[in-house]
Amino acid sequence: MNFKIFLLIKLFVLFLISPASALVIGSDEEEIYIDANFSGKNLLVFGAFYSDPSQARDDKSDILIEVIGPSEDVVIRKKESFFGFWLNSKSVGFNDVPGFYYLSSTNEITDEFLNENNIGLLNKKDTQLIDWSALNIDWGNVKNQKEKDTFYDALIRTKESEDVYRKVNGEIQIIDGNLFRSYIEIPNTVPVGQYKVNLYLIIDNKISNEYSYNFMVTRVGIEEAIYSFSKNYPLIYGLISLLIAILIGLSGAEVFKRFRKV
Amino acid sequence: MSIYLPIAELSVNIILLLSIGGVVGFLSGMFGLGGGFLMTPILIFMGIPTNVAVATSANQIVASSISGTIGYWRQGLVDFKMGGVLLIGSFFGSILGVWIFSRLVVLGQIDTVISILYFALLTSIGLIMLIESSQVIRDRVRRKTVKRKIHYHNWAHKLPFKMKFYKSKLYISAIPPIIIGFVIGILSATMGIGGTFILIPAMIYFLGMPTSKVIGTSLFQIIFVTALVTLLHATTTFAVDAVLAFFLIIASVIGAQLGVLAANKLRGEEIRALLAIIVLGVATKIALDLLVEPNEIFNISVIRALF
Repeated sequence: MNFKIFLLIKLFVLFLISPASALVIGSDEEEIYIDANFSGKNLLVFGAFYSDPSQARDDKSDILIEVIGPSEDVVIRKKESFFGFWLNSKSVGFNDVPGFYYLSSTNEITDEFLNENNIGLLNKKDTQLIDWSALNIDWGNVKNQKEKDTFYDALIRTKESEDVYRKVNGEIQIIDGNLFRSYIEIPNTVPVGQYKVNLYLIIDNKISNEYSYNFMVTRVGIEEAIYSFSKNYPLIYGLISLLIAILIGLSGAEVFKRFRKV
Repeated sequence: MSIYLPIAELSVNIILLLSIGGVVGFLSGMFGLGGGFLMTPILIFMGIPTNVAVATSANQIVASSISGTIGYWRQGLVDFKMGGVLLIGSFFGSILGVWIFSRLVVLGQIDTVISILYFALLTSIGLIMLIESSQVIRDRVRRKTVKRKIHYHNWAHKLPFKMKFYKSKLYISAIPPIIIGFVIGILSATMGIGGTFILIPAMIYFLGMPTSKVIGTSLFQIIFVTALVTLLHATTTFAVDAVLAFFLIIASVIGAQLGVLAANKLRGEEIRALLAIIVLGVATKIALDLLVEPNEIFNISVIRALF
């Protein structure tokens, strides 16, 4: 199997360059390019539990993979019925919310464990991944706690429905006892910017070793060029858009005139 | 086969895009309408964000109104002076319109306001067309011809700042055309329409312009209003999608030519009645979207992405 050979060679190189440790990892990507045809990508994260291959993984060791995307400011708006019309009414602004969040483990990891170890963006409730106290939230006219919770839930729900927030377990494959690999689905809706991958080796419910690295998500291609041009030179962009319209409009009239004469 | 729209940030089918542009262009060529009032809501139904639909529609109307104006100009049916006076009002109207638009975007009410405006516009257009076409059909059956008054004298003649409009054979105050232009400017900027549907009756009934000069003159001034609206949107809301506009323009210019040819060969009233029903259908869909409780009452919008 080609992949396995590739993995072993890469890990072997990693063993040589890294000091003896209990967690060795590698990844196949340093940069993900999103172009017009991008329909999502599976990011490969792989590694070994122990640098000494003879030391096999036992039931007590687990791997936790966390991927955090670049921050963004979002507004959650709630629709309410006014005289039969569903209109946006109350809104809450959440600042510095991760645009992508992924948490994966070999076994079920408890919220207590995440809380104790202060891993990334923590749980307020079981399904929620964000440490709310760390966010800069503009509550506007939303006052009571129960209503605030509905906005928290809505943020998570909308992010989950866009596939940019995920919490899974059992998606990490274990190979030969000591090696692991996981494909992390990066959907095409992810924001561009720097992503951080945190890996934790957990033994007996304690973090035994951890490792982090970054990768970039970048947009490329003609579409990206048009997008950034429209933001950087809006007036020139507007004038070019107009020029295209004018030229096609003029030639349309010209072609039509000849067409009619025939 | 699909194409990624860089500003709308989604992929759409090219064939679907060209068909929409072609059909809207055909209808606008056939009936001498701008077509923006159909283009914008259809783009929104396709999932294109409201602000992109409005701004891009304005860009598309620049092309179709240029094509149209040239045809009328060759026949000497454009009153440039009247167009210029209308434009003074439109200039300020479109600046105010884009300002209102960007405020509504910040407040998160743009979708709702656009929906309500479109519901009102399409319902009235649809009903007027339906009533008019059914009357024409009825009159045709009874072999009656409707006589129209050629010249009106109304309040537009009594206001100050009177100007001579030789082409239209009018001597009226400049204030009514400036006000009409102002209103059209606001509507164009907020709804992504040229406003022919409002402009033409307003020019006939309020200004008393001869019907023959009205379409050419309104198309002429629409070129400049929609051009200004395109530039204002490009620089303030960043919502003009050049790729989307390109495909819509190509298809609509071709569609409009075929529409004009078809108009010369077909009897319009039945098709006009059909169009009225389509317009009312679109209005009903917009109303339902506003009235039916949505599945998800919360929505998210990213206001700042960190690069």
